[in-house]
Amino acid sequence: MIGITGLVHGTLSIENLSIPPGITSVIGENGSGKTTLLRLIAGIDEPEQGSVTIGGISPRMLDAGYVHEFPDRNLLFSTVSDEIASSLRFRDTPCPETRARVTEIAAALQIGHLLCRPARDLSGGEKALTGIAAALVHRPQLLVLDEYDSHLDPALCARIDTVIRTSGANYIVRCTQRMDTAAGGDFVVALEKGRVAHAGTPREVFPRYENTPFFPRSWRGTAC
Amino acid sequence: MLIRLESVQVTRGPFTLAADGSFGPGIHLVSGPVGSGKSTLALIMAGLLSPSGGTVCREGIGSLLLSLQFPEYHVTGSTLAEECASWGLDPGPILAAEGFGGLDARDPLALSRGELKRLHLACVLLRPCDLLLLDEPFSALDCRQKEILSGRIAGRGGITILFTHEEEFLPRIDQYWEIAGGRLHDHGAGRHTRSGNNDEPGRPPESAGGPI
Repeated sequence: MIGITGLVHGTLSIENLSIPPGITSVIGENGSGKTTLLRLIAGIDEPEQGSVTIGGISPRMLDAGYVHEFPDRNLLFSTVSDEIASSLRFRDTPCPETRARVTEIAAALQIGHLLCRPARDLSGGEKALTGIAAALVHRPQLLVLDEYDSHLDPALCARIDTVIRTSGANYIVRCTQRMDTAAGGDFVVALEKGRVAHAGTPREVFPRYENTPFFPRSWRGTAC
Repeated sequence: MLIRLESVQVTRGPFTLAADGSFGPGIHLVSGPVGSGKSTLALIMAGLLSPSGGTVCREGIGSLLLSLQFPEYHVTGSTLAEECASWGLDPGPILAAEGFGGLDARDPLALSRGELKRLHLACVLLRPCDLLLLDEPFSALDCRQKEILSGRIAGRGGITILFTHEEEFLPRIDQYWEIAGGRLHDHGAGRHTRSGNNDEPGRPPESAGGPI
């Protein structure tokens, strides 16, 4: 479990929250604290007060993959291939293995045709896909995706769901503004003004948002 | 008031785009898969990119604005107040109305991306213009803000062209267009797609927690 206890960090305040393994979607209005929570879970930031642990240990002890909400901040290298390969190269993975793994993850996300392209010339959606591939390439135990789907269409989101479900990551924590995507995950954390308003399975959380824009479109007109 | 694409061609390595069509007053929606050329077409229609061939004719359009898909590309001020002022607008009322009251001195790039998008679009929509090109205007906005934006778009006159993947929170669309197979297709007032990427998203599988 991801355990959060006595957390106070900026505008975020969470007394107790347990997030089970699987795909968790963090939802809420802009400015509700989603990115702050994701950065703490990824171990990028450390809490001012309280603790965040994953399986009882610090997030910083885990192998993590992270996708930033600003797509350009995921791109450090000049070509798509170099960008996706970077985390493997930093850990001195042998070149043949790196090449094979880059080819494999690019094929899974259907971006093999982009590998030789300059990263700066990509479309918004292609930048997002490159960031996701780079976060997945080293098979992280923890995958944190912040607004990774802002520039993607529903068909691509469905493909990514398949890839991340089979990636081997024990914990996938993502922030999305597509409630149909969130409803397809295992667990939902709904933030309101820096507090956890609701947490549970999609079936437990989304009925509380019926008749609001946060109720999944594919559930509308169905009995809860 | 009209913008017309006549045999517009873009060729960039293996990428090609061909576009013909007339965009009159009302709200237009241009969809298409990732990498199909939506942003390229927006830049061409704004006159910021020259096509490899063909012409773009604007008739009776005295002013135009392009909102880029990444709001961070528009930032020129180092504070929220400077950013609003850079659009020729009085910062106080905008910041108060958008929920940023008292944050005049904050760095725009310290906002969350959704907040930055909201502020950017508020500034854009306060500037009257005949032709408004909005590239992925709904991305990063929360569901409530998407609804608000739809209402604001519906309330403006002139020509508005949305380049977007959004399907759920849209104003009433007068004309649908789609880029598929390297060409811009006119679907008129009804939504039909060739690529199939605008299908209704699937109902969640029961095992994933969808209601019975």
